[in-house]
Amino acid sequence: MKRRDFFKKAATLAGAATVGTSSVKAGITQQPIDTRKVSPLAFPEKRPLIMYSDRPPLLETPRDVFTSALTPNDQFFVRWHMPDIPTHIDPDTFTISVNGLVKKEMKISLNDLKTKFEQVEVTAVLQCGGNSRSAFKPIAGGIQWGSGAMGCATWKGVRLKDILDQAGLKKDAAWIGFNGSEKAAYYETPNFVRELELSELDDHVILAYQMNGEDLPYLNGYPLRLVIPGYYSDSWVKMLSNITVTNEYKKLFFMDVAYRVPDNETESETPEKKFPKTKPIKKMNVKSVIGYPTRDSVVSHKSHVVVRGVAWDDGHGIEDVMVSTDGGKTWTKALLDDGKLGRYAYRTFRHTFKPSTLGKTTIMTKAISKIGEEQPLAKDIKWNHGGYKYNGIDEVTVEVV
Amino acid sequence: MKGNMMKKLILSAALLASPLFAQVNGKVEVPYVPFPVKMGKGFDAIQTHCLMCHSFGYIINQGRQSKKFWHGKVIKMVEHFKAPMDEQAIKETTDYLFEHYGNGKLK
Repeated sequence: MKRRDFFKKAATLAGAATVGTSSVKAGITQQPIDTRKVSPLAFPEKRPLIMYSDRPPLLETPRDVFTSALTPNDQFFVRWHMPDIPTHIDPDTFTISVNGLVKKEMKISLNDLKTKFEQVEVTAVLQCGGNSRSAFKPIAGGIQWGSGAMGCATWKGVRLKDILDQAGLKKDAAWIGFNGSEKAAYYETPNFVRELELSELDDHVILAYQMNGEDLPYLNGYPLRLVIPGYYSDSWVKMLSNITVTNEYKKLFFMDVAYRVPDNETESETPEKKFPKTKPIKKMNVKSVIGYPTRDSVVSHKSHVVVRGVAWDDGHGIEDVMVSTDGGKTWTKALLDDGKLGRYAYRTFRHTFKPSTLGKTTIMTKAISKIGEEQPLAKDIKWNHGGYKYNGIDEVTVEVV
Repeated sequence: MKGNMMKKLILSAALLASPLFAQVNGKVEVPYVPFPVKMGKGFDAIQTHCLMCHSFGYIINQGRQSKKFWHGKVIKMVEHFKAPMDEQAIKETTDYLFEHYGNGKLK
């Protein structure tokens, strides 16, 4: 009986979610938190960002950065899992090990990586699977990110495939494990290791030592990180130290428990009854975020306001971004950039409108991918316990004066 | 000191030729953030069992939550992250979290 009331209440509240109800009770979704301010404290190689924790460091990029296709390195979000991160790495002595089921075990120096392999670049979006998690109610455990646990950069490095080719894979090689250098406080705590199936790897997967033409910042994985375009960032191992080729999948916390969604059609469940079977989050869904205006913007009545933002998916590419300035009643196609940064990059959009009413005006954006996937309204996104993969239509309400 | 200076000189000389010039020389220092922590019964347990691995920011970022939520978090730390906590430590930390960061609801 109580349970029925619970759902009834949930249904009513779901309808009200878009206006920002905060006292909700059941598994529903609303706009992510958008009120956090940047911290006065700057972390190494970073400008002041929204800060959740110093140990491990957790930093979010503020919304107004998302007007350009490339996110500056010093404003790029930061997410680590373990308290102990190397604070100094000597680029002259650093090596990455390649071992396991390979014909020739290797230790490759940074200099060898930069000089003895073909150098390649890819521009790709790096987004935490829990980006926008604060949209989920009741709270999905984890960092309550707004929409800035993401960024886009041009990554330069060496193809993973070229390295594996040189090491030579043995016949029964099937999985590759990637270790980062972050360490837990206790030996028993599982290390942050990712495993990828060989069949998942294509030429776009690289080991990157450079980001937007500069060294990776320490907090983004100096001196080397894995880049897997189209995938959520939990697979992009930072401070990569070791690559192990195996013939079978090993059970790992960060693969088997964290970063997973319900393995059903809608990837959803209720807070009371979790779906028993789960799958890794892997590929990103289609999403857009407005960079300007922001909730702090004041725009002039009848002036030409240019709405700007970014849109992306897992690499199919963005077909259109639709903009509404009347609460979703009518939608207009925004102008897109030329897309020359490639299908894994942010596609920037812009749309000019003249605010015709004084007071509050809500701007909404909806991205549509080249395979026809489009962003649902926030309230139509189904709840999952990890708060992963939120991709609701973005909303910003501004004051027109 | 002299050694460092020499190292610096060598590094800057190498800068022109070597692709290995690092943006940062020496250690980076992640700032310490003094999060507002509520004192009270059980705080010792928090200090021993939670702050060993993560800052207080992790806790307050979750907002006010039910006792069941906090208990679930503590159990996750024990089961998955292998925090060495006995029954009493689990109870003390859960009680502290619920008392100071609870929403008044058991479930």
